[in-house]
Amino acid sequence: MVVSKMNKDAQMRAAINQKLIETGERERLKELLRAKLIECGWKDQLKAHCKEVIKEKGLEHVTVDDLVAEITPKGRVCSVFRYWTVHSNNELQIYFFRYLYLFLY
Amino acid sequence: MKMEEMSLSGLDNSKLEAIAQEIYADLVEDSCLGFCFEVHRAVKCGYFFLDDTDPDSMKDFEIVDQPGLDIFGQVFNQWKSKECVCPNCSRSIAASRFAPHLEKCLGMGRNSSRIANRRIANSNNMNKSESDQEDNDDINDNDWSYGSEKKGLWYLPFQNPNSPRRSKSLKHKNGFSVCTSASNTLPLLFSSSGELSNSDPFKYNNSTGISYETLGPEELRSLLTTQCGVISEHTKKMCTRSLRCPQHTDEQRRAVRIYFLGPSAVLPEVESSLDNDSFDMTDSQALISRLQWDGSSDLSPSDSGSSKTSENQGWGLGTNSSESRKTKKKKSHLSLVGTASGLGSNKKKKPKPPAPPTPSIYDDIN
Repeated sequence: MVVSKMNKDAQMRAAINQKLIETGERERLKELLRAKLIECGWKDQLKAHCKEVIKEKGLEHVTVDDLVAEITPKGRVCSVFRYWTVHSNNELQIYFFRYLYLFLY
Repeated sequence: MKMEEMSLSGLDNSKLEAIAQEIYADLVEDSCLGFCFEVHRAVKCGYFFLDDTDPDSMKDFEIVDQPGLDIFGQVFNQWKSKECVCPNCSRSIAASRFAPHLEKCLGMGRNSSRIANRRIANSNNMNKSESDQEDNDDINDNDWSYGSEKKGLWYLPFQNPNSPRRSKSLKHKNGFSVCTSASNTLPLLFSSSGELSNSDPFKYNNSTGISYETLGPEELRSLLTTQCGVISEHTKKMCTRSLRCPQHTDEQRRAVRIYFLGPSAVLPEVESSLDNDSFDMTDSQALISRLQWDGSSDLSPSDSGSSKTSENQGWGLGTNSSESRKTKKKKSHLSLVGTASGLGSNKKKKPKPPAPPTPSIYDDIN
């Protein structure tokens, strides 16, 4: 029963995702998120971190993987912290909820 | 639908929130990845560090926070003490005075041309000798020179004491050169008249703005024919306004003329009614003067006889009046021709001949 429940959740999640992509909402949400992150200075903070990483590693030898590995966790943390402090998370959540309600009903 | 069933049954806030959180996390990760790709591309293309400044420049342009300096590190009054060398005159000028100096030096500003013209006018007037009267007249007549502008302003209600006629006589009769520009003339003349009034206020000393030595009898007469001439109590000078000036009455004018020219002197104003008389005065004086100078043969014997009795030029009015009446018409032209005395019907300005040196005339009259 638990497995099925978990499956149901996974299924639901997959379905929602799929729907989001199909209607193009996901892209819109992504742009919205990017704008918000720049506004709150998340991008500049990450850029400074990048510069440090690059100076460490040397300009010529930086790879994408290095950057991703270094920056993504920091970005995630930063965004959560920033986003929660600068904006209330409710905005995005409410938006999601509303959409989901509309979408699912 | 299957999905709807699923959603209906599984919907509660916490779950929804969890789902939302997951979606959000996915989106953030996508953004990070996107950002990484951007940075990596910038690094590889070489424009990642372009907007940075090197540490040396950073130090140069650091904000300065010392007392007495601004944030750029500049001193406040730095330019006051600096001196610039003028390229025109090669003098070193203070920086704050440099622009006005350059304006004057190059002669290209608004004021510089005015000042230069004034200086020229002044220096011309100072340096002019008698032979340069032509030039002087030009300056006087030139409406646009600074000097004449001043004259026009100051002498608006009066006759111009620096008109060519007067200046000529001035030059001849004066021992020293007289400046014809208004600005220089006034203090000069005022000072001279001041002296005169102290010494003898009841003689020639009452100047009209012409210095004392120049006022000969002909001068005085001419002045009285053309000007009001009433002597002001405060300044002891003759009024230079016209013959009909409203400040003085005819009685005053007559009194002045009688005082100066003898009891039979007539006001030039009264000419219209007493035309004959004044004309005769003129004639007699003209005759006398011409006799004295060149022994004119135009005179009739009667007139020459009468003139001989007076033996002086221009002032023996009382004796000659009766005789000269006869010869009025004949001698009219004489009065017109080059006489020093302006008294009479002629209100035109006659060209004055060179006056003979007769300083003792007044003594003879008295």
